[in-house]
Amino acid sequence: MTFEHCIRCTICVENCPVFRVQPEFPGPKQAGPDAQRFRIGREKSIDDWVLLCSQCKRCEMACPCGVEPAQIILRVQQRYGMEHPHSPAHLLFANNYYLSALGSMTAPLANRIAATKIGKKILGQMGIATYIPFPKFSFKTLSGEKKTRSRGNRKVAFFYGCFINFYRPDIGRKIIRMLQSFQINVVLPPQVCCGLPALGNGNLALARTFAQKNVASLSNYIDAGYDIVYTCTSCGLCLLQDYQGILEIPEAKKIAENSYDLHEYLLKLIAEREISPVFREVNRSLAYHIPCHLRALKIGYPAADLMKRIPGLDVAILDDACCGLSGSYGFKKTNEAAACELGARAVSLIRKTGAEAIVADCGSCRMQLSGLSTMDAFDPAEILCESLGIRNKK
Amino acid sequence: MSVIEYDVIVIGAGAAGLTAAAWLAEQKLRVALVTAGEPTACLSTGCIDVCSRSDQPLHGIAGLPDEHPFHRVSPETLKQALEDFRRMMADMDMPYEGTLEENRLVLSAIGTFKTTCLVPATMHASPQSDEEKIHLITFTGLKDFYPGYLLSRLRNASFSSYDAGVSTTMGIAAHFEDRAFLETFLLWLERQNIREDKIAFPAVLGLESSSFVLNQIESRLERPVFEIPTLPPSMPGRRLFNVMKDHLRRRGGVIYWNWPVVGVEKSGRQIEAVTTEAQGRPNSLNARAFILATGSFVGGGLYANRDRIVEKVFNLPVFAPENRDDWFEQDYFSMNHGIGQAGIPVDEAFCPQGSPWNNIFVCGSILARTETLKNGCGHGFAIATGRAAARSCLERLK
Repeated sequence: MTFEHCIRCTICVENCPVFRVQPEFPGPKQAGPDAQRFRIGREKSIDDWVLLCSQCKRCEMACPCGVEPAQIILRVQQRYGMEHPHSPAHLLFANNYYLSALGSMTAPLANRIAATKIGKKILGQMGIATYIPFPKFSFKTLSGEKKTRSRGNRKVAFFYGCFINFYRPDIGRKIIRMLQSFQINVVLPPQVCCGLPALGNGNLALARTFAQKNVASLSNYIDAGYDIVYTCTSCGLCLLQDYQGILEIPEAKKIAENSYDLHEYLLKLIAEREISPVFREVNRSLAYHIPCHLRALKIGYPAADLMKRIPGLDVAILDDACCGLSGSYGFKKTNEAAACELGARAVSLIRKTGAEAIVADCGSCRMQLSGLSTMDAFDPAEILCESLGIRNKK
Repeated sequence: MSVIEYDVIVIGAGAAGLTAAAWLAEQKLRVALVTAGEPTACLSTGCIDVCSRSDQPLHGIAGLPDEHPFHRVSPETLKQALEDFRRMMADMDMPYEGTLEENRLVLSAIGTFKTTCLVPATMHASPQSDEEKIHLITFTGLKDFYPGYLLSRLRNASFSSYDAGVSTTMGIAAHFEDRAFLETFLLWLERQNIREDKIAFPAVLGLESSSFVLNQIESRLERPVFEIPTLPPSMPGRRLFNVMKDHLRRRGGVIYWNWPVVGVEKSGRQIEAVTTEAQGRPNSLNARAFILATGSFVGGGLYANRDRIVEKVFNLPVFAPENRDDWFEQDYFSMNHGIGQAGIPVDEAFCPQGSPWNNIFVCGSILARTETLKNGCGHGFAIATGRAAARSCLERLK
């Protein structure tokens, strides 16, 4: 659907988290379909407010007419990025993958520096917000993991994503153990950043480079009979939507057709009676914050379906609020106030449920929500593993 | 590939679909609701129009033409459905006022009066005549709300304007959620020395906390306060939708957003599954029965080609005035365009007539001969038919 299908109903505006708190942003209707009519000429784009869109995609979920305001804005953001010099913060976050690789290699040092006052000051000078603690780099990344042994007939190539790789490889290891406990053969295919941070920071060329590398690698695994399983919902959305869409990668369709969200995949195997996990009691009451990009995947909330099967577990589903961080969005000084305000709202909705901890599929949602609330935030896979009795070796 | 099997899938997230889904979930059925986007209910005034063609809704219904689908809903079902609606809204701190015995008026943003049945408590004090003494509060730069329209039609009104720092209904409503902003605003309001009996606001008094904000203003200014519905984004419509969807979820219903149905799997006389084009591969959901509540043309349930009208999900037989010349009258603003009759004709059980499928039930404004505008059959009709179709669906599944 093109911008011409917009009937100006403003339902997208009602759903835009940024519009709610950031008066500088004219909202998805104006920034997307309305302004699009004037962008047809060759004039340089001057609307710097397009960068205020956090690409949460809530407008697209809400539009009754199938217009995709966020997609329109995303393309303008790339054009803006090509026509204007990038700020240090944009450059750094677009290259988050290389930066994180460096950070992990020097983890003990890098973590210490990032936590010091001087470290924070330097980050601030570069336009980077430090209102929540930076995630800690992990010295032993998942990509350095030894090859895993084959067990059953099902073969999975695990696209773990940067967050798990550099910051929380322990969750990645648990997921691998869980899949193996179902007699699934798991491999870690060669992979780089999905490209979303580069896209989000207006660096289309870099995003395309990442995407091409990933597709070349994953495509071979699909040919060899592997299913691709991802766990970060934003990586997943990029693999499924952006590779075929804005990045125009040949073969992207094949990747999209063969990639599954971890929980979606488990539900599929349960429905096909290939696995029948026995969930043991977990006595927790959790607030499940639904990441915006999980909604955008249109697969429902599979982790919620799985958690419903765990006896003793009380899960309240919250999908009305964006956490505000949106990957690297909230880490920019210019977006800090908006990110804080949105985060505070999401936290207050969580507190209202009376839950003792947060659960969310997305690493950056967890970072934001636990940072602002000081509550624990888990990956749904961690809860499943707890119920299935799967632990990491010390 | 289908992953999850439901008892019932409801298609459409408007007042009809949400009512049907929540009631079935309450009966302990496994219910999913799929929707292409958010419903036009979000754009509504939030008022519950049952039948606005006479002073008394029940009278109005009795006078509807014989083939009107409202006659398929028993008075008991209508009463029960609206009572349950009121209880639900009150439980979620968004109470509604009014009774099925009598319609009432609400003041519109252009100073005219709209006839409706139930209103959000924030519109309870809306005047019933143009004589009442009213002070209007508007907000500097607020688009889509012009006190001039109201002042020209109300004899005893005046206004003042507050600078909220933002100029959109959404932005101002979000500010009212902030206690510090509310307090500053109240102090300003007290300084205005308002003499009129009532104070009117465009509908921007908060998103989640409208009851609280209204009470605060009323107790500080010691007189009735009411909201005037605005052009979209319409806060009362959004509040209504938010509460109804939370209610469904609390009853155990599952909602799939941005899930336009693009395909249907059938077997014999049964629909077995509906399919959408997800990112990557088709995604389908199985169920034993389906409730169609996709709305009329604006809602997206019906689509008019040059020569005929199609129902977009199941391609059900559609009733419409036979001759295309009868679709529209000359007067654009007429409430009586023939196209208003277009929709799905149903039998006593809300099953589509002349369709080969026996597990589809239809409710809401997609029903044939509803004529929403002409008869003032709005959310009230949707809630009542949603309930009736759901009940009939449950009986079929037993």
